[in-house]
Amino acid sequence: MVNQSNQPLPTGYQLDEYIIERQLSLGGFSIVYLAADEQGNPVAIKEYLPNSLALRKEGEIVPQISDENLPAFRYGMRCFFEEGRALAKLQHPNVVRVLNFFRANETVYMVMQYERGRTLHDFIHRNKGQIRESFIRGVFARLLNGLREVHTHKLLHLDIKPSNIYLRIDGSPLLIDFGAARQTLASDQPMLKPMYTPGFAAPEQFRSRDQLGPWSDIYSIGASMYAALAGSAPPPAEKRAERDEMVPAIKRWKEGYSVQLLETIDCCLQLDPLSRPQSVFALQRQLAQRHKRRQPSLLSNLRTKLNKPIW
Amino acid sequence: MKFSIFQDTRQGQRRYNQDRIAYCYSRDALLMVVADGMGGHLHGEVAAQIAVQYLTESFQREAKTALPDPFLFLSRGLTNAHHAIVDYSFDRDLPEAPRTTCVACVVQDGVAYWAHAGDSRLYLLRRGQVALRTRDHSRVQMLLDEGMISAEEAMVHPNRNKIFSSLGGHTSPQIDFSRKTPLAAGDVILLCTDGLWGPLDGERIARSLSGTNLALAVPQLMEVAEQAGGAHCDNLSLVAMAWEDGDAPQVISTQTLALDHFTTQMEGLLKSRLPASASDLSDEEIERAISEINSAIKKYSK
Repeated sequence: MVNQSNQPLPTGYQLDEYIIERQLSLGGFSIVYLAADEQGNPVAIKEYLPNSLALRKEGEIVPQISDENLPAFRYGMRCFFEEGRALAKLQHPNVVRVLNFFRANETVYMVMQYERGRTLHDFIHRNKGQIRESFIRGVFARLLNGLREVHTHKLLHLDIKPSNIYLRIDGSPLLIDFGAARQTLASDQPMLKPMYTPGFAAPEQFRSRDQLGPWSDIYSIGASMYAALAGSAPPPAEKRAERDEMVPAIKRWKEGYSVQLLETIDCCLQLDPLSRPQSVFALQRQLAQRHKRRQPSLLSNLRTKLNKPIW
Repeated sequence: MKFSIFQDTRQGQRRYNQDRIAYCYSRDALLMVVADGMGGHLHGEVAAQIAVQYLTESFQREAKTALPDPFLFLSRGLTNAHHAIVDYSFDRDLPEAPRTTCVACVVQDGVAYWAHAGDSRLYLLRRGQVALRTRDHSRVQMLLDEGMISAEEAMVHPNRNKIFSSLGGHTSPQIDFSRKTPLAAGDVILLCTDGLWGPLDGERIARSLSGTNLALAVPQLMEVAEQAGGAHCDNLSLVAMAWEDGDAPQVISTQTLALDHFTTQMEGLLKSRLPASASDLSDEEIERAISEINSAIKKYSK
């Protein structure tokens, strides 16, 4: 396969009712643009453009798709529709919202709400090693509400990682990029190999895809929490499966974080899918546990205070 | 050529299905392959997949429309598949090379040719009886041949799964070849993994597959084997072919196939993951999907 890279649509290009501002990100399957709608509101537009199957050269608008690649291109489009279908039904404050879906330039586009903020990935890098437990609990507890909604719709995200967790200006998290979701179906189309991110993908994601389940996303949640503490991704699961060199959270951070949080992270990061929390709900319960214990009643607070030595 | 053919694979009670099966035919030649991957964990299925894929691909390259030399094809095919698996494990630096059994059969000009390594079997069923079957490359088969154990003891022997020849692995496989075996109308050739033959005896298999519609009889036989396999039932797979099986609707006649046409059925990795209609997404379907999504967006947004 020739290593080719697709050119983004030019700034100012009128795409349906939207005007392209700039490219936000480039993935193996798609390009995401910042654009403005007719009222001038910012939107994010995702363009289906798999690198290996379609090529847009410099100065061109319509990508070239060879006859040979057309079936695979169309098959990938099916997956893109799956993503759209799934997201269309999801209305949750912690899941990115789809606003429109249309066809142009021989391919398809998904319009999503654009939010100001930054990714958790950026946040981790700017605050390396200084992220507090309350921040982690706050972000992930709300994010898990969104993920629960995703799982309720019989969908797996399969690419949860700090760069797909978006933090709005007010700090509330938003789960973005469902490009890997449902691509479970495409795992044997050689050119549409599912993309996963080393360190965040569960071991079953590249070994035994028939074992995928909510627990696979939970592994990624655990890895993201681990990354928030460590400032970098944990070792890839396939390396861990051979020889596990990951220092468990409970050993690595003795200070600053509660045992319960660290144990929860380690539990999510179990290589055996069955050893992890089996549902988002189960994980949420674990994340909520400490608050119960750490928020003693007013009476017991008083008692502790009164029992303290006076000096 | 006229025949009917049916294949099926089931996971049994195992966590993975490491069996791979395929058949492929041109106008004048038919190939059937069954492979049972081993290697502890997950690479077994890769070994089986490589073997099946390698053989079917070479068949499609070479059978135009007949193979010049079926035995040479089988010998080269199995040996090269062995090397392909070894290369695969070398490239990936796997601690132990994955292995797979393999039994492959070519039918051409009314004559069957087969070869195997390991304990996946080929049965030739004729008039409701087992006329021929391959001899497993297993310790138990050796003990049986030497008269050390009886057939009943063999069925429950603790080492009945230990085999000494397979594709992949550190030692070169021992590959055994059949004689040229002319087929008679109504003969059934069955290729299967030990998950199928293990819990059943030959007579039982012969009875259930002779003189019937394979599309009905095979699933029944699989069911029986799976039941008999019990709580630890292995993966079970088979390809069954009935030769010149009258003019029933399921009978395939290859005479009308184009010269460069191949029909291939491969199961395992592909099964259930890639829908048959995967690639033919028409313009109308695209339009329909888009309007469906947009109406969902409207319906759910408030």
